[in-house]
Amino acid sequence: MTTRAVRLTWSYACLILMTLVILFPIYWMVGISLKLPGEIYRDPTLVPQHVTLANYVTLFVDKGFFQYIRNSLIVAGAATVISVFISALAAYSLVRLKYRMRDWIGRMILFAYLTPSALLFIPLSVIMAHLHLGNTRSGLILVYLTFATPLSTWMLMGFFRGIPFDLEEQALVDGTTLLGALVRVLLPLCAPGLVAVSIFTFSGAWSELLLALILMTSPDKQTVPVALQELIVGDVFLWGPIMAGSVVSAIPVMVLYFAAQRFVVQGLAAGAVKG
Amino acid sequence: MSQRVLIPAVRQRPFWTASRQRAVIGYLFVLPVLATLLLLVAYPFVYAIWISFTNETVAVSGQYVGFANYAYLFGWSSFQAAIRNSIVLVVFAEIIKLAIGLGLALLLNEKLPGRGFFRGMVLLPWAMPSFVAFITFKMLYSPTGGGFDLILGDLGLVSQPINFLSSQLALPSVLVATIWRGFPFWVISFLAALQTVPEELFDAAKTDGANAWQRFQHVTVPSIRHILLIVTLLSTIWTANSFDNVWLLTQGGPGDGTVIFPVLAFLGLTNFQLGQAAAVMVAPLPVFAMLIVIVAGLLQRD
Repeated sequence: MTTRAVRLTWSYACLILMTLVILFPIYWMVGISLKLPGEIYRDPTLVPQHVTLANYVTLFVDKGFFQYIRNSLIVAGAATVISVFISALAAYSLVRLKYRMRDWIGRMILFAYLTPSALLFIPLSVIMAHLHLGNTRSGLILVYLTFATPLSTWMLMGFFRGIPFDLEEQALVDGTTLLGALVRVLLPLCAPGLVAVSIFTFSGAWSELLLALILMTSPDKQTVPVALQELIVGDVFLWGPIMAGSVVSAIPVMVLYFAAQRFVVQGLAAGAVKG
Repeated sequence: MSQRVLIPAVRQRPFWTASRQRAVIGYLFVLPVLATLLLLVAYPFVYAIWISFTNETVAVSGQYVGFANYAYLFGWSSFQAAIRNSIVLVVFAEIIKLAIGLGLALLLNEKLPGRGFFRGMVLLPWAMPSFVAFITFKMLYSPTGGGFDLILGDLGLVSQPINFLSSQLALPSVLVATIWRGFPFWVISFLAALQTVPEELFDAAKTDGANAWQRFQHVTVPSIRHILLIVTLLSTIWTANSFDNVWLLTQGGPGDGTVIFPVLAFLGLTNFQLGQAAAVMVAPLPVFAMLIVIVAGLLQRD
């Protein structure tokens, strides 16, 4: 074989191996969620013999999964909306306006992003208790802003920078205010970028476990990750419903993530096309 | 004698110049984010350091106890285990993710037919919520009905199911799951960096007679150096401070086999020992600070 053919074979072999390694756990998760307990424990097989939705029924009916999804939607949704809004303002300020502390503030935002929740969760739990926001969804939303805002701000700065100032400048010359230029020129151009940032922020808030585990102590306020965690930290694992819960938690986020990729590309291209 | 005093006509400059207006708007717009970060990041950061020097518990307000918590920690076997496990986990995870990430990025950068499909595949472990990834691995590792034991059994490689999360195998198992979850970030980052390298550089090197390894050394590596440093820093901090992986797979067990700092701190909090829990997370901070300084220094050197 030519060296080229050998190289091609190796390349594809590696890529196919990678694909199998990536897909197997996902396949397993979906497979278990569709199997009956007998097939899971007593007679496990790689391919499900009987496909059943019983685990999903158990998950929603017995385990009341709807309320956890509701809690997660409320918390992640609100955290996303608030975060993207204030981050858009901050990103605009940091990219388009000049003032003395601008670089210092930018660096502060970067350091905030690097500060792990694992460090902050202890003082935050004390602070939330003092504010009587422990075990409330509002408290959790507030706390989620700690990681949501640095990330959103930094991403939006990237998108805003990609759009040349000329168009806003034009609008300003034509007589609009700075705020008007922001709303009427920059934001529409950045719409795909805003969508992408919203999706990433939502995914991050949806997936967060540690802070939710610390703050939400009563079962009816728990979010999806905490609820699933409760199911596996004991001694008896009902893997069927647990995997069903995993599938239900993962699918919306993964779909959004792939959609976000397209919006990211569009958002980055917006500046190039119009400029 | 009165002199004619000439009063020069002074043009009044308005207070609100355009640049002053913009500066005020600038501060105003950045205020919500700044306030959020000062109140919810900066203040708790300092507060955490303060708590680590007290004997605060959930019920009782803390009294200053100096370095008592730290003295206790460094003599505590669980904390020492956390140090060992963190170093092992972080070092192996980052090195392996770097190797896999760079290798796959180089492959995916080639003009292979179907590479769009493979690029999409790479995203999957990163796109799913992290807790889903680790809960799934926990099931895969289970000796009763778990996927890995099933495959090993079907292939005839083992006679009895292995419990991947017991004693010696626990930390490597956590490592594998962490790598599975985290390698896409490295692939994507390296791929993005590779794609900014103009084709001409490689062509020029080829015409100069450089072979593949030399091209890699002198064209590829310098081009991705920047991204490599940043990704290494971010990934190291994230792995060292990860909670989901250990907590969902083993809760730190068996015994102290897989405890890392965040898990230890969490357990401290659930045992109401806030002072010690805070000390657990504050103690490694100087290491991270040093890492950030080193990487920042290396980045400046361009």
